[in-house]
Amino acid sequence: MSTALPNYRRKQIRPVWCSGCGNYGVLRGVEKALGNLKVPAEQMVVVSGIGCAGRFSHYLNTYALHGTHGRALPIATGVKTTRPDLTVLVVGGDGDSLGIGGGHLPHAARKNVDLTYLILDNNTYGLTKGQSSPTTPWGCVTKSSPYGSPEDSLDVLPILLAYDVSFVARTTSLRIEEISAVVSKAMQHPGFSIVHILSPCVTYPVLKQKALRERIEPLPEGHVPDNKAAALQLAYSSDPIYTGVFYSIQKPTLDARLRHLQESALERYSAKGTPPSIPSLMERFL
Amino acid sequence: MTSGKKSFHSEVDFILRIAGEGGEGVISCGELFARAAARTEYHVFTFLTYPAEIRGGFAMVQIRVRDWTIYSMGSKLDCLVVFNQQAFDRTIKELKKGGTLVYDPQAVQLPPDLEATLLALPLTELSKEATGSVLGKNIVALGALGHLVEMEQRVLENLVRDRFASKGAEVIKRNMEALRLGYAYAAEQAWRRILLMADLRPKGSQYMMLSGNEAIALGALVAGCRFTASYPITPATPIFETLTRLFPLVDGRALQMEDEIAAVSAALGASFVGEKALVPTSGPGFQLMTEQLNLASMLEVPLVLVDVQRGGPSTGLPTKTEQSDLNLAIYGVSGESPRIVLAPTSVEDSFYQTIRAFNLSERYQLPVIMLTDQSIGLRKATVRMPDLSHIIQLDSHVARTKVKIPQPEFINLIDRAEPTAKELEDYRRFRITADGVSPIARPGTPGGQYLATGLEHTESGKPDYTPENHLQMSRKRFRKMEVIARSFDTNPIEIWGRADAKIGILGWGSTAGAIREARYLAEERGIHVRHMHPHTLSPMPHRQISNFLVRLEHLIIVEENYTGQFAHHIKAHFGVKAIELHKCEGIPITPEEILRGIEKVAGIIDEYSIAKL
Repeated sequence: MSTALPNYRRKQIRPVWCSGCGNYGVLRGVEKALGNLKVPAEQMVVVSGIGCAGRFSHYLNTYALHGTHGRALPIATGVKTTRPDLTVLVVGGDGDSLGIGGGHLPHAARKNVDLTYLILDNNTYGLTKGQSSPTTPWGCVTKSSPYGSPEDSLDVLPILLAYDVSFVARTTSLRIEEISAVVSKAMQHPGFSIVHILSPCVTYPVLKQKALRERIEPLPEGHVPDNKAAALQLAYSSDPIYTGVFYSIQKPTLDARLRHLQESALERYSAKGTPPSIPSLMERFL
Repeated sequence: MTSGKKSFHSEVDFILRIAGEGGEGVISCGELFARAAARTEYHVFTFLTYPAEIRGGFAMVQIRVRDWTIYSMGSKLDCLVVFNQQAFDRTIKELKKGGTLVYDPQAVQLPPDLEATLLALPLTELSKEATGSVLGKNIVALGALGHLVEMEQRVLENLVRDRFASKGAEVIKRNMEALRLGYAYAAEQAWRRILLMADLRPKGSQYMMLSGNEAIALGALVAGCRFTASYPITPATPIFETLTRLFPLVDGRALQMEDEIAAVSAALGASFVGEKALVPTSGPGFQLMTEQLNLASMLEVPLVLVDVQRGGPSTGLPTKTEQSDLNLAIYGVSGESPRIVLAPTSVEDSFYQTIRAFNLSERYQLPVIMLTDQSIGLRKATVRMPDLSHIIQLDSHVARTKVKIPQPEFINLIDRAEPTAKELEDYRRFRITADGVSPIARPGTPGGQYLATGLEHTESGKPDYTPENHLQMSRKRFRKMEVIARSFDTNPIEIWGRADAKIGILGWGSTAGAIREARYLAEERGIHVRHMHPHTLSPMPHRQISNFLVRLEHLIIVEENYTGQFAHHIKAHFGVKAIELHKCEGIPITPEEILRGIEKVAGIIDEYSIAKL
């Protein structure tokens, strides 16, 4: 398999994103990461939800499932559970991942399912033309909050750390090289990895490129990613907004956990540890 | 014991009910009894209802033992065992005149004029003597019943030992004592035996004792399903519990998810990458899953969903039975998306229809919904062991044939068609074909990469909202339904009774047995009835149903719901008038209730003069 970048682009489908959209940078960064890792396109499944970020799965020449709003994570969990041999990438926007689909996050974290989730956060619902989202700041005027948003915005990274997602990182669409590096690390991480990518919308600029550029800063050099307390402290900082790998720990993946259950089941039911035949299983109901 | 009704060719037909309070072990007492009876050559059929709460509330189990195939739970009871006053008050009207009543004299006040054989059994007292608590009442009752039907004590001892095996030697010992006291008390009081089971030949090994839910789990196993995802919901949970126990042994995987939406999503994901996946649930869970089922129709991904229906609407009657999710199964969707709806008629049929559901789903790449209900799902029945040495795996490329209904001697399996090397050269996942089915590439296959999107898409999977494309792809998806409907018309005809009968009964799902027995009862009274019971509710075997309807003068449609959903469906499709017989009480309809309906119709000259019975 050649590693030339265009091999990961699905040629028949052109992106629908507005020109200047942060998602182009993310797509470019992800393509670079895939090139670095040399993942064969046919061994990869990209699952996405609804929204501008949900279109991500259209543009990579892999197996791709663009499903319903908010359900990318449980769909991907089914994919990875039955086919651990496949590389699974999940993409969703802030609405898809933290609004309608937010309830699935802690449970994927509990399973430590081995996949990489990219949350493309632009602080707004772009595809429906600029309503307030779970990460829209309090008081912000949007189409659905003409007098200012009445809610607090979610602080994404501390939530992910509290759920004990085993790999938590942040980057921005402004830094393609950093996306490539962080996404590579996330995809190599055995277990559930989330990369929170701040990706400003040019048409509904709730998250403004300029303000973002002024505030982003790489994590302090001495930060050790297995230190959750330190990671939390850095995650709460809003100025500067740190980027890089906040947290990374090793714990058994869902596949390893299920394999373990399988072994103990076989030990219990067959002396030699060999799988029983279907008729012999049915005979247990006689 | 009752002597047989001659037209059933039945010598033994015995109906026992045990009733008490939830948590008293009433149901486990009944299950142990049923299990012992199932080891004889008799057929066994159970029906149970328990309170939604773990403890407290009314619980009962009914067991029918017969020397011939059993089609329903029967009507009146030959023997009733009651643990308390509430159980007595609620069930005594079900006891036959002259039937046998076993009751705890400490807990039950009898009215003076009961026409029954009364057998007092001091359950509480004997339980305390054996176990030091009231927890052994059910096992004392089991012992006394063992005497009453002349069941060998050794058989019950073995079952009780198995049941309490995990609880330690002390618990086993106490329960053995409870069992012994029950037997001894009945013997001392010289209770006259009401059934003789001890002399019966033990049955060969060819019968399983299964609940409908277990039958579905085993059907999935045989069909090659190796993934299930679920969220606990009464009364469907045992399907997942059975699979999660069996799957690790056969390299399958079961995930309990955080909610029903996640469960069906995970199953969809598993099926997308090539695994056969089952989603068991009940009505309230099913309605949460409809969005993903819709997606499965759009992505043309195979998926099998089982709805073990319970009383609704909303939380409704979680532990009771009802046939009220038919509309949801057929129509519950935004937009128009093809799906197949099947309805098994019995525990045994649940096994075969599950295999059929997987075959249809794989063959036509769309979701299949199976509607069972609490009464089939939780009851246990003897099921003949199928011949698994004759499973034939059909080649999906050659076999553009129809999917046959599996039978004990004959099980076919079919997997989804994958693209050939030639098809991969210019792979179009949603290519328009003669039957609407296009080969589906399994992830990992080089050159097969495609986009599956819930947006309207072209043959190659690219989003496309043009008028021509939407029409063309809608046609493609619904062409499958036309092909399926035509293939259903060539299935074996599901009609019983004399061809010249003027009264016809149409039913679906779990009412099949009760309707069949009602037909026998009617025939004994000289009323001929024709009975049709389609297994496929959508798309319907149109020609078969038309042929059935056209010969009738009176049509009765039987179903267990309030509004007559199936009747609406039939009337809409065939433009016929029907007399609707509904039961909406959370319990299965009985043969006698249906017989009363048939008798009324037989006595009516002009059926148009009434709307409903």
